[in-house]
Amino acid sequence: MSDQPSPTPDLTNRSLGLGPWSFEKPLLAARGLTKKFPGVIALRDVAFDLRAGEVHALCGENGAGKSTLIKLLSGIHPHGSYEGELLVDGRAVAFQHIRDAEAAGIAVITQEFALVDELSVAENIFLGRAPRRGLRIDWLEMNRRAGELLADFGLAIAPETPVRDLGIGQKQLVEIVRAMDKKTRVLVLDEPTAALTGQEVAVLLDHLRRLRAQGTACIYISHKLDEVFAISDRITVLRDGASITTLAVRDASVPLVIKHMVGRELGDLFPRRSGFTPDSLEPIISVRGLTVAPAKNSPPFLREISFELRGGEVLGFGGLMGAGRSELLLHLFGAWGHRAAGEVTLRGAAFSDPTPRAAITRGLALVTEDRKRYGLVLDQPIGFNLSLSSLPQFTRASVSLDLPAEHVRNQTFFESLRVKAPDQRARVGGLSGGNQQKVVLGKSLMTGPTVVMLDEPTRGIDVGAKLEVYELINRLTAEGKAVILVSSELPELMGMSDRIIMLHEGKIGGEFVRADFSQEKLLAAAMGRRAAGAAKDQGPRTNTQ
Amino acid sequence: MTSRPAPQLLALPLALLAIAVFFAVKEPAFLGPRNLTQLIVEFSIVGTLALGMFMILLTGQIDLSIGSGVGLIGGVAAVLVFQQGWSAPAAMGTAFIVALILWTAMGTLIVRQRIPSFIITLGGLLIFKGLFWLVIQNSTIPVSRGDQENLYSRLTTYYLPSSFGFALVAIVLVALGILTWRSRAARSAHQLANPPAVRAVGQWLVMAAATLGLVYFFNHFRGVPLSLVVLAATAGAVYFLTQHTPFGRYLYAIGGNEEAAVLSGIAVNQVLVGAYVLMGVTVALTGFMTTAYSGASTTTVGDLMELDAIAACVIGGTALKGGRGTVWGVIFGALIITALLNGMTLLAVSPEIKFIARGAVLTLAVWMDVKLGRR
Repeated sequence: MSDQPSPTPDLTNRSLGLGPWSFEKPLLAARGLTKKFPGVIALRDVAFDLRAGEVHALCGENGAGKSTLIKLLSGIHPHGSYEGELLVDGRAVAFQHIRDAEAAGIAVITQEFALVDELSVAENIFLGRAPRRGLRIDWLEMNRRAGELLADFGLAIAPETPVRDLGIGQKQLVEIVRAMDKKTRVLVLDEPTAALTGQEVAVLLDHLRRLRAQGTACIYISHKLDEVFAISDRITVLRDGASITTLAVRDASVPLVIKHMVGRELGDLFPRRSGFTPDSLEPIISVRGLTVAPAKNSPPFLREISFELRGGEVLGFGGLMGAGRSELLLHLFGAWGHRAAGEVTLRGAAFSDPTPRAAITRGLALVTEDRKRYGLVLDQPIGFNLSLSSLPQFTRASVSLDLPAEHVRNQTFFESLRVKAPDQRARVGGLSGGNQQKVVLGKSLMTGPTVVMLDEPTRGIDVGAKLEVYELINRLTAEGKAVILVSSELPELMGMSDRIIMLHEGKIGGEFVRADFSQEKLLAAAMGRRAAGAAKDQGPRTNTQ
Repeated sequence: MTSRPAPQLLALPLALLAIAVFFAVKEPAFLGPRNLTQLIVEFSIVGTLALGMFMILLTGQIDLSIGSGVGLIGGVAAVLVFQQGWSAPAAMGTAFIVALILWTAMGTLIVRQRIPSFIITLGGLLIFKGLFWLVIQNSTIPVSRGDQENLYSRLTTYYLPSSFGFALVAIVLVALGILTWRSRAARSAHQLANPPAVRAVGQWLVMAAATLGLVYFFNHFRGVPLSLVVLAATAGAVYFLTQHTPFGRYLYAIGGNEEAAVLSGIAVNQVLVGAYVLMGVTVALTGFMTTAYSGASTTTVGDLMELDAIAACVIGGTALKGGRGTVWGVIFGALIITALLNGMTLLAVSPEIKFIARGAVLTLAVWMDVKLGRR
């Protein structure tokens, strides 16, 4: 294990007697929670408990079930939509609504703020329960009480300040103030530090320690294991919807937690057959020092990204949510961001001012992560969607469509992709996720691309359809096309890629050839820790089979 | 392709039948040849405008300025003819170009500046109204000089001579037959199954009987109105555009899912501007016809026609949120709206009640769109 031990113990402040070892009744407990969505089991038999005065971290990969668990605890998924039971103070509860959970003292603070930007801090704190005098809002009383609360928290914010003038860290704290004023006993923080600076994180953690000392319990979700180790008393690891283990922080280590998070067998689930002969071919696409900002005058989000890709190769991109994987693909395709620096070359010719149209003409294809939003016209038939990007192929005298020719081509894709529907006139909106994904794939492939970019191509589809997608990737590379694969599932990424680049906060966190693939190394790179042995050289590499 | 048979498929003819029976019972002259001919001219005017609106609605946009635009474009041509002494074709050609410029400008503003079409065209409604009144100096401008007829004034008063009407329909029918036959041949060449030949021939025969019967009926009175030919040509063009060209597919795609359309490589901005330019074309055609029908350009020409056009589309099953609708539906919708307006005029319903009825129909149509749209 190449990871250094986490630099945490001195940061923790577990001086109170209420540690993981107190034997009192848990404040909140989950027993045998199972939550099914159509086609997916999001949680299976999850057990979890939370004691007063502890910070309990939830760790797991994207899609491990953390968010679903939170939604159950907070009443977003109402009682009855899941199996198992939730206990508060040892009594079973049946939350029907977020309000029920709030009444039981559970408050959730997510990445998306539930604050109204246009209102003042005081108005936000008392939103929906402002002190009144008769029919009118008692502004003086409201501001006075808000001032007291803020002072209690040691926040130097005037109650009249509009929320829009606050920094992200301050907004987060205002939300916590609001939650605490509602007599909250369980504070759920979902990735609270994703957008905070180091300074703000330290302030937030200090406040959490103070709340813990006062007996508030906290569920803390973060990808940043450093923080988790700095603040938590116990850690529960979720994987594939199941609670794998609960560890006391003093018995745990970062590598151990990562191992539990990823520990999964790699079988023949991923039938990658490399068709890749690296040295003989010029790169199809080469990216040098790409730096991209969300908009023209904003700070760059993607920084200094360089890579090359050859025909027959699958290049995987991994990283945590928000690391910039989707943005990179969207930018290459001309659909996102302002290029501040760097260049993209397609088969030796610069591709400097991309638009989706130009990208398709130049042989790029993109299958987006959110197929319903970005990929499909749900109200229209399968055939309409399949040929949508390729209509110029079917025009006669560049005006009218050759409908029979289009129909025949659609039929070829419809059959070769084995879309399960009566015929190509069926509405796409009525298909299952896997079949919708096949239609999106078909639409992209019909344009005759040389570089196929797949963003989470197997998300939310069943195992059978996944295998078909993998086979399709093999077919594409066998035809000499290049594939860029973005996936949050490390086993999939490792199983299907010839080379993997992990992104971390918009930068390349590490590049690995197949011989170096290991979940620990990849995850470490995704978290911005440079693992030893990561391949960093950019030069031509040997075949890694 | 595209649109599923909407539930309106049977509802529309039934509604039309109910309206016809209602008015015919109240006033038998409703179905007389004189009134029917008038109704057809009014239908041609509303229908042509609605076909332009149809393409805008398909993309999920809207155009509220067209009523004022109809008045303005008709007024420009009338002023050129009556006050400047231009020939009717030159005047109409110039006004046509004005319409193209105005609608290109509006479309460009909408896509480049990302101002909602609702606001831009609401501004257009007022601006065009003001321009219109400036152009005609708040007066009544006839569409011809002296008592001389010209192309402009005859747009809605010219009827095809009976033999000419038959000849035109015959040509259209032959052309349709050839097109059907060629499309069948093309399908066979691609080894695609064709519907049985009997059915194709049967459809063609029904079409032939219907159109020839219509011509026969019109010839009994004065002949096929020229304005109906304008509508038929517009409908044919819009049908071709929406069902047989990439442009039409893109209209549906943008209205169905604009983000997906962008990522599918569709030049969304160009398509939207194109839809507005075509709207301008139908506004010009409607402007000429409706001004000619009034006999002169006056301040009220075109008033509220944007709402009739929207109502026609929505009654015909075009979704206000975009992505759904058919040319046939729009034609039926226009027929229903016109029959209502015409029937009320015939019964001498007071203008107050007519406004209320018009509003109620529009509201009802949109309500049904919302109900059906949610599915």
